[in-house]
Amino acid sequence: MHTAYFHMPRKILLVMKITTFILLISVMAVSASSLAQKITLNEKKVSLEQVLKKIRLQSGYDFIYSDEMLSKTVPVSVLVKDASLEEALKASLKDQPLSFEIEDGAVVLRNKNDNLSVSVRKEIVWMDITGKVVDDKGQPLPGVTVRVKGTTIGATTDTEGQFKVTAPDGSTTLLVSFVGFISQEVNITGKSGITVVLVEDMAKLTEVVVVGYGSQSREKLSTSITKLDNRVLTDVPYTNIGTALEGNVAGLQVQTLSGQPGAAPRIILRGGTSINNPLGSSPLYIMDGIIRPNGLADINANDIESVQVLKDAASTAIYGARGSNGVVILTTKRGRLNKTAISYSFNGSAANAQRIVKYAGARDYIELQRQGYVWGSVYNPALLGNLTGATATGTGNTLAKNTGFTTQYLTPANQYKLDEGWSSMPDPIDPTKTLIYKETVFQDLIYRTGYSNDHYLSATGGTDKATFYSGLGYTSAQGTAEATAYKRLSFNLNGSYKIRDNVNAYGQLLYSNRTQNTVPNLANVFYRSASLPGTAKYTYEDGTIAPGGQNNSIGNPDYFYKGQYAPQGDNGVEDVAINLGFKWDIIKGLSFEPSASLLREGAYLYTFQPAAFLNGPAAALITSRTATQTDNVTRQEQVDAVLTYLHTFAEKHNVEAKAGYSHYFRNQRNFNATGQNAATDLIPTLNGSATPTVVNGTNNSLALDGGFFRFNYDYDSRYLLTVNARYDGASNLGEAHKFGFFPGVSAGWNIDKEKFWNSIDPKARMQFKLRASYGVNGNISGIGDFQPDGSFVTSDLYGGQAPIRASVIPNSNLKWEQSKTFDIGADIGLFDRRVSLIVDYFNRRTDDLLTTVTLPQSTGFSSIFTNLGSLQTRGVELEVNVNMLSRQSKLKWTLSANAGYTKRTILKLPSNGIDKNRQGGTYAYDPGTGGFVWLGGLQEGGTIGVLTGYKYMGIYQTDAEAAVIKDATASNRKKFAGDAIWADLDGNGTIENTDQVIVGNQFPAWTGGFNNFFTYKQFSLNIRTDFTTGASLLNYPAYIANGQLQGDALPTADLAANVWKKPGDVNAKYPRYMYQSLTGNYRTSNVSIENADFLCLRTVSLGYTLPQEWAHKMKMQGARVTVSGNNLHYFTNYTGSSPEGGGIDTGGDAGGRYPVSRTYSLGLNVTF
Amino acid sequence: MLILSLAASSSCKKNIETTPISVITSSSFFKTPDDVAGALRGMYVDFRTTAANDMFWLGEGRSEVLTGAVAGAQGFDKFWNNTLSASAPNADNQVNFWKNLYAPINSANLMLKYVPDITFPSADTKNSALAQAYTMRAFCYFVLVRAWGGVPIRTEPLEAYDASTINKPRSSVAEVFALIKSDLTKALSLYPNITYEAGRNTWSKASADALKADVYLWTAKMLNGGQADLTTALAAVNEAQTSDVGLLPVYSDIFSYTNKGNKEDLMVVRFQLNEGLQNYWQTMYISNLTNVSAATLAVVGAQGVGNTGVNTAQVSKLVRDQFTTDDQRRNGTFFEIYDNANKYITSIVTKGSGMVNAGTRNFFTDVVIYRYADLLLMKAEIKNALSQDPTTEMNLVRQRAYGTNFAAHIFVSGSPAANDDAILKERLLELCTEGKRWWDLIRFGQAFNLVPSLAGKSGTPGLLLWPIGLTIRATEPLVTENDAWK
Repeated sequence: MHTAYFHMPRKILLVMKITTFILLISVMAVSASSLAQKITLNEKKVSLEQVLKKIRLQSGYDFIYSDEMLSKTVPVSVLVKDASLEEALKASLKDQPLSFEIEDGAVVLRNKNDNLSVSVRKEIVWMDITGKVVDDKGQPLPGVTVRVKGTTIGATTDTEGQFKVTAPDGSTTLLVSFVGFISQEVNITGKSGITVVLVEDMAKLTEVVVVGYGSQSREKLSTSITKLDNRVLTDVPYTNIGTALEGNVAGLQVQTLSGQPGAAPRIILRGGTSINNPLGSSPLYIMDGIIRPNGLADINANDIESVQVLKDAASTAIYGARGSNGVVILTTKRGRLNKTAISYSFNGSAANAQRIVKYAGARDYIELQRQGYVWGSVYNPALLGNLTGATATGTGNTLAKNTGFTTQYLTPANQYKLDEGWSSMPDPIDPTKTLIYKETVFQDLIYRTGYSNDHYLSATGGTDKATFYSGLGYTSAQGTAEATAYKRLSFNLNGSYKIRDNVNAYGQLLYSNRTQNTVPNLANVFYRSASLPGTAKYTYEDGTIAPGGQNNSIGNPDYFYKGQYAPQGDNGVEDVAINLGFKWDIIKGLSFEPSASLLREGAYLYTFQPAAFLNGPAAALITSRTATQTDNVTRQEQVDAVLTYLHTFAEKHNVEAKAGYSHYFRNQRNFNATGQNAATDLIPTLNGSATPTVVNGTNNSLALDGGFFRFNYDYDSRYLLTVNARYDGASNLGEAHKFGFFPGVSAGWNIDKEKFWNSIDPKARMQFKLRASYGVNGNISGIGDFQPDGSFVTSDLYGGQAPIRASVIPNSNLKWEQSKTFDIGADIGLFDRRVSLIVDYFNRRTDDLLTTVTLPQSTGFSSIFTNLGSLQTRGVELEVNVNMLSRQSKLKWTLSANAGYTKRTILKLPSNGIDKNRQGGTYAYDPGTGGFVWLGGLQEGGTIGVLTGYKYMGIYQTDAEAAVIKDATASNRKKFAGDAIWADLDGNGTIENTDQVIVGNQFPAWTGGFNNFFTYKQFSLNIRTDFTTGASLLNYPAYIANGQLQGDALPTADLAANVWKKPGDVNAKYPRYMYQSLTGNYRTSNVSIENADFLCLRTVSLGYTLPQEWAHKMKMQGARVTVSGNNLHYFTNYTGSSPEGGGIDTGGDAGGRYPVSRTYSLGLNVTF
Repeated sequence: MLILSLAASSSCKKNIETTPISVITSSSFFKTPDDVAGALRGMYVDFRTTAANDMFWLGEGRSEVLTGAVAGAQGFDKFWNNTLSASAPNADNQVNFWKNLYAPINSANLMLKYVPDITFPSADTKNSALAQAYTMRAFCYFVLVRAWGGVPIRTEPLEAYDASTINKPRSSVAEVFALIKSDLTKALSLYPNITYEAGRNTWSKASADALKADVYLWTAKMLNGGQADLTTALAAVNEAQTSDVGLLPVYSDIFSYTNKGNKEDLMVVRFQLNEGLQNYWQTMYISNLTNVSAATLAVVGAQGVGNTGVNTAQVSKLVRDQFTTDDQRRNGTFFEIYDNANKYITSIVTKGSGMVNAGTRNFFTDVVIYRYADLLLMKAEIKNALSQDPTTEMNLVRQRAYGTNFAAHIFVSGSPAANDDAILKERLLELCTEGKRWWDLIRFGQAFNLVPSLAGKSGTPGLLLWPIGLTIRATEPLVTENDAWK
């Protein structure tokens, strides 16, 4: 037990010669790792000896006195803060019979009435304490702070987690602390060679969060900020880091819209501030202080240290005119003191399309379509021509190259095809004849298993002078659709160097280069060509590949999207960010941080269409060989300077004051050109083109300038107050409104730190903080660079000459959109911090909305962009973190859940003389009042995103039933048995536009997620889910396919199985199928607009960390293996390819959606 | 806080100054004659947008000329079936009728506001610019007033948004015609001469005269303008005839892509490759045609693609059958397609079939606003209404049409009513699918008699106006619906 390790005791003789004395003092000064300048004492009635010991520890000065002197002293009460040594001594010796002198680094005490020096020697004893700090997996932790309690003596651990502290005799306790871990007090009485095990701090409420221009402990935070749990970022490969946020930040709506590797999800905070374009209200993205105009695209997730989302106006006010849609702050990894490591990680994955809509088979299609032409001929006799034409189900096809389909009547001449795998069937409209066809499932040709790999190599190190971090990443991802891919090379180098004791310089270089191959047209690939009838020719008789179908919008994917006829091209972005800054600690507590950064983004694109039968097999070879090239360069410069003052007054008044200046400049240069008529396919770039058809270039700039400040105050961490504000000006605002002032204030109360709390929670197992904030933000997104000045466009030509046309109406009153947000919340820790709870309610009112106001058509303009209207957004957010099992348990299980609810109300719209100043909407009969009302659109008192449609009531079983109704939308069509029964709301016998009802809303109400993290010994298991409720989605591909609104293309397999075919099909789910839905059987309705609530099993990942000893044997610091699955399953009733998105299921293009992919991956990480 | 704000604002002001490089701002524009030349062409680009589709559907969509074809109707069948309603007045993609017609009006208003204060080296150039703006405004209002009756009159350009003044109620038909006539008077006094600009794709004195004749002919017949208006109209035609204009011997040459701005044209809207929109004839062509003879395919040539060149509408059998086979206008207007079993499939337009570029058909035939045959037939109509003999004009048109077979088709003047019938039919044959027929039917009072889908509805003459419709009225709260459509 008794293992205290004594260093050679040093005996100091009072009478020693001064030279020896100095030598010894200096030795001691070295052994104490730092000498405090200021002394703080708060003692009540303690012995003078104790006080002197404290002064000795804090000052580093030794004391020379005799025990006899102390025997005459009385107990001391003393209170000093940040006092000098002299002040502290004076205060301590005030009522004592002793005086003091400071001689060469030592304090010599004397009896007041005795001029003699002390004649008795005093023995001072020091001891060295050594030990090691490890985490709960036994991994050494470098950089941990170890401090002797009550003193400033301390040290940090080295790469092996080792430390050594020289402490004064009698020290009893070490404080061991490390960011992200729970601090510990370790008793060292009589011990040395200690091993300290630090446990990772899962308690959210003590985490450090990055705030605008600084960081803060959540304990002292009074605004609403969410920090992404970093465990989400590990083990799972993300080609776009935005997808890691899905379901992980309460109030942040993240929607995966595409399976294209690298595709950005749509990210909207708290419903966004816009009424026109709420889906475009993206937050401000800032990485290492650099604003990222392209959001999270092309950032290597491996480089990222932390992601935080600033949500309320008080936290974002410091970003002024651009903060109202929230701010997402990313920081990259940095080198750490004493931690040197080279690390390599690899991830390999295989992906497949998650959900694909199944289309009908060829035989079903022939039956349905031929019958449908006959039905349709009642309305349009010309349709009968399709029965004998060279259509997908027509008999006009031949084996020659000029028809696109295989369907034809069986003849002696073509009978041999039946032996070559062709099928036959009776002609549904004339069973005496036999049809033959060859079926190909074209949709299957679009998809493949996409293989991807990701490599990341990093090297990092640091001393007390300098740190550096370097990371090199390479990602190559294949999409699950043929020919789609994403490749990224990224490079990150950052470092800091202490130039002087009080000046630190840091610099950073971030580079990424990505290239991407996307499908030429989402709609053409994912729902048009996917629904190419199976009877289309895949190859001609001579074995050459056939374009199939009609043209490149509905054609053979292997012809149009792969191989020699497919569009060629490439697009990419090269991104360079350079950042340079200094931190100058002017005097204690006061620092100045100037920085400058440059971001250059070069985006390029070229496309080329080789000569091909783009218009189908019957038309000529198209040789226009269109080539395009686009080169866009964005250059962004930022200069920031921040002055910070930190001080604690009277011990408990903590103040942080900050003032700063920020300048932003962005220049965009775009060039694009299109050429045609190249002589060959050999040169895909513009130099091959004979004829320029478009040549265009632009150059535009934007500048912002702002001054800001923040004042943080807390009293004893109990009462918290933050005030911040920014004064911002932007070049793209109207002359009268160039500048704006954006203040934010927030306050918090850590109730658990109050004395009375002891009676409620005597064991101090709870944390409880109430906070509230209010702030004003701006938004200028969507304003063109020179919008207030109006503009005339020069695009287009007339008779070969350049015209100039008025395009934007000048609006010198254009100003920032202003949001005022009130946020109230609580941070609650329960059960000894095993449960933490963060709740928020917010109420945001946005005025002067940047709105596109519809103009009377007789102005000749459709709209003007101006500031009009007010929108209220209210919501609730909840984050829960639970350590399900006790700290001692070997199995650890953290459950974290979050949810956010958003509700929007339109308060005010531009006055336009219409009831409720309505814009848009559907004019409909209201059976309740018997009058007409406007549904949806924008109306005061209403909400946004309302979807309207017809109400499906079933199917007419007889012609007589159907005869009573007319359909006004399609030329008073008569209806027959098999047609859809639509609710005739006003009972006037005619189905018309006014017979519509509200069938949903495109925006979600609730979004959130549940995450489970398990660890057991060397294993870890993460299960991530997320959900969305309240949003409806128009299943556009199914609506178009089943209504056959796209032409000669397949309906869904579900329709083929459940469609009405003849009277008596009472269980049929779908009305009769007819070319172009001539009787209006398929329209936007409560059938085509589906509820899109879902729960997604987003990620499951299992990891194994090699035991330390094994790793060491293999000369490694550590190693880890993971397997994971991503986008595993949607639990939803939605029948389309993905329930995410809201509105129209188009993914931004008319009807085409790249299905989300399900990915399985294997990861490996080794550190040397 | 205040100090910070002040410090920031003084230093910031110049830090956030940016220079528009690629943008013409309102304050920098309309200073030089070159600006005006650009703005003039801009006005024609706006005009081209409405001419590409809307003006045709307004001017012919509801007549007997059109009927359904093999492709889906996309809502266009509402026009020829005359099943328009106030809630569904448009085809699927034809919802900006007013906006597209008022856009050139706004461009003209900008010209009329700024050009007078700009110094030109030549007064003629300046006057010509103003004259073209006046003519443009007159023409667009003429289309508007014939389609919808009294419409809002805007004679000032929109340069700022003011919610309280932005809306305008409808003016009366008489007020609109007063504006049209006054604009034409100003225009005709400003044109420096009666020559055409190259390409004949801008307004000129002769085309303004043609418009004047058209306007006065309309007010003579529809608004009791009587002899006075007819006389004015005739004078305008006579003046237009003094310009360099005549009939081309070969009918199809008028519309040939390689013969743009030919001598028959008084005013066309220019459509050409790499210049914006393809026009309405694309809805009357065909795509995906097979199972027909090689000879047929040869006539059809490159087919349409997707929604461009799709067989949505065709010239109706009723109209096709009125063309005799010895009329060169028959092949110059449409082509009937029969399958290999000699069964009729559909017809396509040969007029307006555009051009083929690298294997792809592009519908870039110029849209003719006025051409000489139209002018001659207007003259015939005016003369007949003035009880003068229209034979000369009728026979000039027929001579070209029938060529060597003219002898069998010589026009002989009969009663004024018979002459009117003949003139109306001649206009049908001559100007088929040129967006004139609906106006002709109204002017001759024959809409209810000749359009099958309007048969029996003559009790509601208000049906001849178009419904303004919810889509337009939703943006124009002061505008009321036409009575027949309420």
